[in-house]
Amino acid sequence: MNALVIDRVSLRIGGQPLFSDLSVRVEPGTVTSVIGRSGSGKSSLLAFLCGTLPGSFAASGRILLGDEDLTSAAPENRRLGILFQDALLFPHLNVRGNLLFGLRHGGSRRARRQHADDALESMGLAGFGDRDPETLSGGQKSRVALLRVLLSEPRALLLDEPFSSLDDDSRNQVRLLVFDQARAHGLPTLLVTHDREDVEAAGGPVVSLTDNRQESV
Amino acid sequence: MTRRWYPGSRGLLLAVSGLPALAGLAAALWVGADIDALRRVLATPGIELSMASALWSGAIATAIALFLAHIAMALAATGGWRRSLNNLALPLLAMPHLAVGIGLVLVLAPSGLLLRLVSPWASGLTLPPDWQTVQDPFGLSLIAGLVIKETCFLLLVLHAALSQVPAERLLQQARSLGYGRIKGWFVAVAPLLQRQIRLPLAAVLVFGMTNVELAIPLGPGLPPTFAVLLWQWFTDPDPQIHAQAYTGTLLLFAMTLLVLGGAAACGAAVRRVSQHWATGGARGVRERGLRYGLSGLLAALWALGMLAVVAIILRSASGTWRFPAVLPSGDVLSAWRVLAPPALDIAPQTVMFAIATAVAGLLLVLPAAESVHRNTDARRLIGALLFLPLLLPQMTFLFGVQVLLTRLRIDGTFVAVLWSHLIFALPYLWSLVAPARAAIDLRFADVARTLGASRQRTWWRITAPLLARTGLVAFALAFSVSVALYLPTLFAGAGRVATAATEAAAAAASGSLRLASMHAILLSVLPFFAFAIAYTGGALLFRQRRGVPR
Repeated sequence: MNALVIDRVSLRIGGQPLFSDLSVRVEPGTVTSVIGRSGSGKSSLLAFLCGTLPGSFAASGRILLGDEDLTSAAPENRRLGILFQDALLFPHLNVRGNLLFGLRHGGSRRARRQHADDALESMGLAGFGDRDPETLSGGQKSRVALLRVLLSEPRALLLDEPFSSLDDDSRNQVRLLVFDQARAHGLPTLLVTHDREDVEAAGGPVVSLTDNRQESV
Repeated sequence: MTRRWYPGSRGLLLAVSGLPALAGLAAALWVGADIDALRRVLATPGIELSMASALWSGAIATAIALFLAHIAMALAATGGWRRSLNNLALPLLAMPHLAVGIGLVLVLAPSGLLLRLVSPWASGLTLPPDWQTVQDPFGLSLIAGLVIKETCFLLLVLHAALSQVPAERLLQQARSLGYGRIKGWFVAVAPLLQRQIRLPLAAVLVFGMTNVELAIPLGPGLPPTFAVLLWQWFTDPDPQIHAQAYTGTLLLFAMTLLVLGGAAACGAAVRRVSQHWATGGARGVRERGLRYGLSGLLAALWALGMLAVVAIILRSASGTWRFPAVLPSGDVLSAWRVLAPPALDIAPQTVMFAIATAVAGLLLVLPAAESVHRNTDARRLIGALLFLPLLLPQMTFLFGVQVLLTRLRIDGTFVAVLWSHLIFALPYLWSLVAPARAAIDLRFADVARTLGASRQRTWWRITAPLLARTGLVAFALAFSVSVALYLPTLFAGAGRVATAATEAAAAAASGSLRLASMHAILLSVLPFFAFAIAYTGGALLFRQRRGVPR
């Protein structure tokens, strides 16, 4: 795995700068947290990284993965996985269908199916493949979303306050699970949050968007 | 960023809708500006009455329909009731104006179903009385027909506008302040909804004034409404009279502009008065009697509409149907054996135009909806622009379109008729599809893209399935619009294209109600099946997936 590098990135909307000259280097297997008030451009930064920033924004700067420049690549070619506050499981597919949508192409139908079911079992969700996503609890949905993104073999992981919609019990569990998996896969991980507990659990460097300052916890 | 896969889709959509309307209007102005013909039009005996009855019936019917639609919404203020209200309105909404008009003649006429139901045991009548209950000089039966149809349409429109207005909470708030259900609705909710439905309401007003579909079977006879008079002139072989028709459509257009201006002024006045009424402090809590009375009126109108359906079926099947028998006697099947074949002959052609309209319409609307799904202003603007042709009298711009088509030698072709149908289907398709597309969480597509799906794959695998239910209903709606269209088929088809609508109108105009009923059955059955298939299909689709939008 390569480091995810944000190189002097500035975002503006309607002529108003959100932040400017942000430079962050996220090493493989580590979690860097980005904090800032709402409206400071945290989510827009992630959209810029994913390549899904709406045209109303003006952006400059580069995104690198190791030496590879991703700045103008199509979203589907960047292979940066993202988890949002909501699990956003596709409502018309069952749980397995959601995983298979993420799973990289290749292998027979049966092998892919087996792969998805094994993955579910590894997260304690054995037998959930045929379920309607809407019938899952919040924690279960989050775990399926995490599996879906991992099966797409991302080269980095972006987290957009993915724990804030969970209740207190599952929040800690899911948080630990996500960070463990990110480390186990050696993914450079960028967490965007305004929750102090998230930052402490992440344990990595912290970047404040508001005053563009980097600190370590 | 990768290249968009829907280049020019918005321009194409607006061009398909707007170009013929504008060009048709220009051509109508060019050909119709004839001072001699105008003199002859104005010298026609009874012309003032013709114009007055068009104006009167359209304006009164629109006002009543709007009031009743609001009343129905206010009375069915909770979610569950409102859904049943929609289900009740749907059959009458799907039934084309022509079929409703023909059916109402069969119900309201002196020899009609209504009097048969009470004769002779209650009325003492053994022969149809000599009353003028349809085609009456005051246009009352025409107004009744318009009110039945347009109340249902406005209900649908109001229902759609609810997504923009927190009606339930506003009404609760008003009721907790001591206002009754009806007054609460009219002071707290209706003004907000009213702002959302201006264009459809204007279209209802224009249609009411300028339609022939209801005015041919139900409207006054001597003289007929102005639109029917023009329609008669158009079918006259005398070129002098033809020229009168051309100029007459311009007069109709001028009338429409005046009335729309007048309606805007009325709207402003009503707003001022209602503000006065809302701030007066009166609560209107003793609404019970009013509620029962208005519910009864709504139920009666609904029953009248449903009786029209029954009457069409009975009349088409009747060999002899002596007054005051409620059911026709004689061999039902033999009557159908004679009449059904000609009606069924035109079914394939009717269905073909309807399917082509729905498919072409969706192909135009879907990419454009995709291109503006992040842009609410652009979505609204396109919706308004698509609605503009519906604010013109159909006859005016269709006649211009016919002139152009004849010059281009493509009048009466499949494409010409399809195009004319699209103009009327697109605004409804847009009003269903575009908001549904915009309502899909943007992040679904973002997630799909970051998981490695291309833009196309994302659309086919994620967006399209989430739109499928709306798409089915939109298909049925466009299908029904096309089936019901009479004047567009007549003009763009140069009178040579026969569909259920053209045949039903011709039969109704010539007074052969039995044949007209047969065609009216086809007219009603086709939209009914289209909606039935769309709703069952939509229910079966993803029936185990609770999160898929309805």
